[in-house]
Amino acid sequence: MTTETLLQRATEILAPFSKGNSNPEANRLDVNIEASDLPAATAALLSSEWGYLSAITPTDLGKEVNKLEVIYHFCEGAAITSLRIHLPREDQPDIPSISDQIPVASFFERELSEMLGVHVVGTPDSSRLFLPDDWPNGVYPLREDFSIEQAAPVEPRETLPEMGRVGNKFTVPIGPQHPALKEPGHFEFAVDGEIITGARMRLGYVHRGIEKATEQRNWIQNLYLLERICGICSHTHTSAYAMGVEKLAQVDVPQRAQAIREIVAGLERVHSHLLWLGVAAHEAGFDTLFMYSWRDRETVMDLLETLTGNRVNYSITVLGGVKYDFTAEHSRAIHKAMDYLEERIRYYLHIVTTDASFLQRTRGIGTMSLEEAKHFGALGPTARASGLERDVRIDSPYGAYHHFPVSLITAENGDLEARFEVRMKELLVSCFTIRTIVDNLPAGELAVRFPRKVPAGETISRVEAPRGEAFYYIKSGGGESPTRLKIRTPSLCNWTSALNKSIGHQLADVPMLIAGMDPCFSCNDRMITVRRKNDSQTISWSQMREYGIKKYAEIRETK
Amino acid sequence: MRLGAMFMDIFRSFFTPPVTEKYPFEKPKTAPRFRGRLHFDPAKCTGCNLCAKDCPADALEIVILDRAAKRYVARYNLDKCAYCGQCIQSCKFKCITMPNDDWELAALNKEKFTAYYGKDDDVANLMDKLAHPEPPPQTG
Amino acid sequence: MSVLASLLSLMFFPAGISLILSGMLYEWADRKLVARFQNRIGPRWFQPLADTIKLLSKEEIKPHSAHNLLFYGLPIVALSGALTAALYTPILGFSPIYSFQGDLIVALYLLSLLTMCTGLAGWNGASRFSLIGATRSLTQLFAYEAPFLLALLGPAMAAGTWTIKDISAYAGNHWMFLAQPVGFVVALIGLMGKLELPPFDAPEAETEIVAGALTEYSGRGLALFHIGKSVELVVAISLVTAFYLGGIGNPLIFLLKTLIILLFMAMLQSMLTRLRIDQTVGMWWRFGALLALLQILVIVLLKGWLS
Repeated sequence: MTTETLLQRATEILAPFSKGNSNPEANRLDVNIEASDLPAATAALLSSEWGYLSAITPTDLGKEVNKLEVIYHFCEGAAITSLRIHLPREDQPDIPSISDQIPVASFFERELSEMLGVHVVGTPDSSRLFLPDDWPNGVYPLREDFSIEQAAPVEPRETLPEMGRVGNKFTVPIGPQHPALKEPGHFEFAVDGEIITGARMRLGYVHRGIEKATEQRNWIQNLYLLERICGICSHTHTSAYAMGVEKLAQVDVPQRAQAIREIVAGLERVHSHLLWLGVAAHEAGFDTLFMYSWRDRETVMDLLETLTGNRVNYSITVLGGVKYDFTAEHSRAIHKAMDYLEERIRYYLHIVTTDASFLQRTRGIGTMSLEEAKHFGALGPTARASGLERDVRIDSPYGAYHHFPVSLITAENGDLEARFEVRMKELLVSCFTIRTIVDNLPAGELAVRFPRKVPAGETISRVEAPRGEAFYYIKSGGGESPTRLKIRTPSLCNWTSALNKSIGHQLADVPMLIAGMDPCFSCNDRMITVRRKNDSQTISWSQMREYGIKKYAEIRETK
Repeated sequence: MRLGAMFMDIFRSFFTPPVTEKYPFEKPKTAPRFRGRLHFDPAKCTGCNLCAKDCPADALEIVILDRAAKRYVARYNLDKCAYCGQCIQSCKFKCITMPNDDWELAALNKEKFTAYYGKDDDVANLMDKLAHPEPPPQTG
Repeated sequence: MSVLASLLSLMFFPAGISLILSGMLYEWADRKLVARFQNRIGPRWFQPLADTIKLLSKEEIKPHSAHNLLFYGLPIVALSGALTAALYTPILGFSPIYSFQGDLIVALYLLSLLTMCTGLAGWNGASRFSLIGATRSLTQLFAYEAPFLLALLGPAMAAGTWTIKDISAYAGNHWMFLAQPVGFVVALIGLMGKLELPPFDAPEAETEIVAGALTEYSGRGLALFHIGKSVELVVAISLVTAFYLGGIGNPLIFLLKTLIILLFMAMLQSMLTRLRIDQTVGMWWRFGALLALLQILVIVLLKGWLS
């Protein structure tokens, strides 16, 4: 179906609820609806199998308009339907929940309620997601009148209800500090012997308030801020942002620049999946595979340093194009690295599908069927391993993917082994695509002029990060900074599937299940509260902070 | 299903040298495009300040000593810099470079992290002004 | 033996200090071999010694609800168990210092004492990680103890005695690993399980339960457990070498044989993924015990047939 047909269908499905439609961009349909019609509209879209919920954008429209806006984005192929709801700008206006129909919406609704101060009626979990436990009540960061002085810490309250100890069942906490986690996050698993009976999680340990921070920086500075959301999906973040802003400014990026962006994206995917392979192997206890895959990852990183100047956070994208060119020498270096890497990747694919001890830890573990993947809103390789054909590069090609497409890799089993298989095969596809582009690099300029002020408007761009779909909603007011920037990263959607699948498995499988969805905590969070409590002494955060400041003052004095 | 699929790799590794880089005894070579510490050439600077405006980390500041005589000094904070290279792009006169050989920047005190670039007497002038600030003008 | 000679051999050579030092040497060899298999450099020769000295000098933090006597006493008991077991085994290629009828069982019991102390220490620690680690540790003990004992029983039955010294003497004339290959394999795998080496390190799984039963230990207690583990490594390898690879002969050749076993163990460590506790127990309690019993059956039949 073409995008027009899809949008036509969506218009018909939503006709009973619509208070006004508009087409802000060729592939987008905006439908204004009443808050009370939200569950019915969602049900209408789901029953017609039109799209999946991709993100929920909360915005404060400001004092003049005096309204709050909540936008629900549904994506199908390249078409995006946004349900726009206006709410009165008061403390805790009501909006109905759609978590009963779409489980992943629970995460978005938690974010909505804590960031914008909207009361989501009927949501199953209203505990805090990103904000720390000692954040004062009634202070909402995304409101226009928010200032940092309002956020003075209060007495922390435990927001996750205790799962308790029943008989010989107890709760095992994993995180925020745990050798299994490469980044902090808090999981609680209720175990009965070794079998897991309940799972709960808390995020926000590396939340940096990036969405709000972009509003205080100009368009160029934001490129680098967004790059540093995550170390291994950095290029996808800049690509999504640059694409969106270039659309708003109606600037055409030259073909050569787009091709170079795709090459770097492919190399980043290689980097990310090799890193993931090592980490997942380490979680399984297979340190040898960890060491070897990270050794080979050095090849990619050295190549990226040669091409872009840095091993991580490449900074090759500028608004309007790219910074550096690829000469014949660079092409040779790329081919050489690809020769080596393709051989090693085939070898790793062979290992993860044939090594008996590794298969014992991955085959049949965490099996997620196609229906479950759809229901949980899984994205990226986690979804593709269950047979769900969802890949933004193919559904909604962007940039150079029109000219240099990639093939879709799926697997049927949906277990951990399938996820390993899908990622390794994706790497082989990436290597092939990189080679093709390098051999057929279009001629042209590297970058075009870009205005300092971007015309007013809003746009949505979606790219395929190594972990799944990254969703960007960019709104400009015509100035030098964005008015609103909403980022929804793929890992947030994949948590539901990981947690649900862990129930019934053993505790030993948990690190592998978490690793299997390739979580990127930094991508999720954009305030760190650390509470340490051993049985004999409770140290509150403020006490620990004072202790730290005093201690370093002493050290400085003795120097 | 094979037991020990990585056997060949392991066996071979026993006879090949380890891949570990023996830093700091052997220093790796950095790529030509690698962005090390920033260097500023005051000769071509016109004081447009685009580099400082576009810096995402507020690491660069152009101090204007005398606009007419084109006496500019750049104050650069190594610790704030993100080594992104945007300043190089923003500057139309190619005053800024980030050579690839100056990257071992760790220091034991924070004074080393603020660098001043300019013509020698300009820099001396600025340091002098900073050390002896002028009293604020009397009002009334 | 005169009192002085006994004291010297107990405290300095071949038990005591030199045993502890050789434990560290074996641990270093193991880590270095695994590192080389993984294409990296590995630690320098004094690393385990440096680790121990560092641990001994650090503050020891006791969880509030842990029982005092158990917390401080268990590391000592564990280490003493391992050191005492060494008195009856041919460590470093020298004849056992002491021996009496049936000391095979005593030595094996003393080695298990170390694992049981670890399990008890895990229960005593107030954290959930140590409790899960203790459970896994004791489960693995049950699964690996029996086949390991049966595998060592094979040469004992062939030699017709329960004394380690005599079994080693008998094994010196007959190469057991050729005569009882199945028993040899069972002994090696059982050895890795007993020592909680990868792939059987579920009790100590770093990415699941932080450090297993010893999570709450630090400083001196951890150092003593650590030394106990490396002593156990020496003792158990020496037993398997003495029984299966040609008894006690030249100390240098004995050392070489133990290093070959260590090489093989390091290779297995690098090649395999950590198994879940139910997989380790499930696999070995069935296969291992069955194979060992089969081997013993063969020996009994052969003995009956030959005599």
